[in-house]
Amino acid sequence: MTAAAAEDEQRNPDYNLRICTVIRNSTSEDSEIEQKQLIKEEEDEEDEEEELRRLLLPNVDELPQVPPSSIEANFTTFFAPDFMKPGHDQYVHRHANGLCVIGLAPHHVALKEKGGIVSVDFNVGKSDRSGIKVTGKRKKNAQHFETNTALCKVFTAESSYIARCCVKGSLLEVNEKLIKQPELLNTMPEREGYIAIMMPRPADWLKAKASLLDFESYRKLRTEQ
Amino acid sequence: MASNGAALHSDTTKAHVSSAAETDNDDLVFLRRAARSLPPPVLKDLLSNGVCARCILKQFGQHEYICSRPSVTTPLLNVILREVAEHGDAGAANDSVGESKDMVDVEKELQEVCRVCLGILQFLYVDDNGILVKKSHACDFAAAVADNVEQGGYQIDSFCLLVSLPPVVVDNEQAVWSYIKEKYSSESWFTEKFPSSCITVKDFLKLSITNPLEKLLDVKCNENSFRVQLTYTLSDALSENEPISESNGCYKRRKIGKSLSCETDTLKNSTDLQKVENHDLTSNSSNGCKDDQAGLSKFPLEKVNGNGCCSLFFQCYKTSVYVGGRYLKYSRNVSQSRWIIDDERMGEASVEEIVGSNILPICQGDKYKFHAAGREDIDVENSILSSPLIVRMLGTGRPFLVEILNARQFPSDLLIKEIETKINSLESKLVQVKNLRFLGSQGWELMREGEAEKQKQYVALVWISRPFENEDEQKLSSVTDLKVLQKTPVRVLHRRSPLEREKIIHWMKIEKIAGSSQYFLLHLCTQAGTYIKEFVHGDLGRTYPNVGSILGCRAEILQLDVTDVKMDCFQA
Repeated sequence: MTAAAAEDEQRNPDYNLRICTVIRNSTSEDSEIEQKQLIKEEEDEEDEEEELRRLLLPNVDELPQVPPSSIEANFTTFFAPDFMKPGHDQYVHRHANGLCVIGLAPHHVALKEKGGIVSVDFNVGKSDRSGIKVTGKRKKNAQHFETNTALCKVFTAESSYIARCCVKGSLLEVNEKLIKQPELLNTMPEREGYIAIMMPRPADWLKAKASLLDFESYRKLRTEQ
Repeated sequence: MASNGAALHSDTTKAHVSSAAETDNDDLVFLRRAARSLPPPVLKDLLSNGVCARCILKQFGQHEYICSRPSVTTPLLNVILREVAEHGDAGAANDSVGESKDMVDVEKELQEVCRVCLGILQFLYVDDNGILVKKSHACDFAAAVADNVEQGGYQIDSFCLLVSLPPVVVDNEQAVWSYIKEKYSSESWFTEKFPSSCITVKDFLKLSITNPLEKLLDVKCNENSFRVQLTYTLSDALSENEPISESNGCYKRRKIGKSLSCETDTLKNSTDLQKVENHDLTSNSSNGCKDDQAGLSKFPLEKVNGNGCCSLFFQCYKTSVYVGGRYLKYSRNVSQSRWIIDDERMGEASVEEIVGSNILPICQGDKYKFHAAGREDIDVENSILSSPLIVRMLGTGRPFLVEILNARQFPSDLLIKEIETKINSLESKLVQVKNLRFLGSQGWELMREGEAEKQKQYVALVWISRPFENEDEQKLSSVTDLKVLQKTPVRVLHRRSPLEREKIIHWMKIEKIAGSSQYFLLHLCTQAGTYIKEFVHGDLGRTYPNVGSILGCRAEILQLDVTDVKMDCFQA
């Protein structure tokens, strides 16, 4: 705890200074009481800070080696293996609030190619998905897509693949960063390399969910191959 | 005018006050003089058309004389006016009080409800129990009002009088004026006798009873937080008979009967008669109707039958007062406000209930409302309060206000201190309060001002995906006013607008944790409105820069606490 103690003094140079000043003052009774009062106040403040620190510090023994990630903690992840085409594995991170984050699963065939993904294009189907601006709490202007609607095209050195919605609903946003940084799909497909965020209606979600696999089932499926 | 408005010879107690016999001779002389200044033909005309004495005098702009003599009774006024109407100037100049008294007794029997003010200025009304009440003069009426105030048990230092009348009364005033103008404007004395504006029934009523009320309640009338409200309404049966025109010009204010005219205004400093609002009857400004004739009551007005006067509803209440301070929340199982989902309470308790329920009784209020400067974040969607990411409020505490509705008592400083101690000694120790104090309505401004601009200080328990390096400390503590762009976090995106918000991280500091190479405490001070969790884990890269990007690894947040809400209010 030496680091903490050192910081403490750093944080309270005034404290020490004030104590010294107080002691150096006159010795009449009044100022003696004042001195005691000041010291007491400083002590109280010190106590409060100690108390605060005690509350903030966790019990190291109780800390897990590797804590659950924010995605593990806040989302439930489902998988769509071979979505419309063999090897086209996609994932759906479903948040408790109903929103779905869509992306390429690590086992997606595109990610297995040498060099991985080199570029991403959101201009597919009838519109450029990256051009839509959704506004307001009611999510005006959001486009309504089907499960097999194309979200974007990803290009590898040799070929190209289409990523699709997997759930029916409103498209809230696409990950525009992929345009300038397509490598995110290679390094972190399940986090910073996500493709889009969809908002399905409760009924539509239930329908889509029926054909999705949970993590365990998906893992089994892919490792048995 | 030499009259002593305050020369009330009636008692200031609530006992039943005098009959006409005790009215001072002086008053009588004044009244006769006032009455004699009115042109007899008009007087006769109005009297025979069922307009009451006070309305008549009001019409002639004589309100000052009458309102300053609150013990003058209605029957006496009627007698005097009738005398003048019958005999003109010569009438009854030397009558003694005694003779008048006899006539008064007779007059009492004959009293009709005024067709203009519907009994309001005659102090006639139907009370809550449906009983017709006749008060003969302003003091008497004021006594009844004061009674009601006392029953409420309020501790007051002043009051504010609000009166609400049925809209048809205003129509009636308009009708009388139009009639008089039409019939008498060609007379020579017209412009002299009739000021072009006179006060309204509402203002006349207030003027009559404000002084007596002040004396009875022993406090001044001013614009204040304690409201005495008199609401006059017409019974449904009567309102259906009211002459409503078919004209579609002036329908804006036309609803009568069930719905009240909600003209609540305050009579500012009633003792200064000059400030009384003048109601200009020549322009019907309240509903923008230019045409006097169309759409209004026609004069002569219909006779008011039987119990046809208004019902009066007394009401008094206090406008809200506030108790403010700062609170600390030590438990992650306590929400800020009462949180019920599907009839089930979430969490153990709420700050709102712990604090509010202890303050309400000492103010003897009806209800309380809890307001705080921001809130500790809860993932409502998860609705699992055991999640460690429910934030505690530590350190200096978060400013809050408890609004008390209709408080009967203002708690003393000592009492407030006691409550503070009481809350802080509750067994559970879930919530603490600091700097509790009683405020007027200024507490509101204190809170609102700067709430959005202020900074907040937090401590987060952070884990990174690789062991801590020395450069890491440097990278984080060298941050000064770092701008970060935050897209609306996914966890709130379903209910908030998709926007990109720029926020500022003012400073950061690492506190290492002994025994761990990948965990540390991150102290940070940020602009109000910054999503801290997202700043740590990056929210799929939608908050950038973030702690992970600064350190070049993955970062996760396990715990978050607020340690300071940097606002000036309720500091000490």
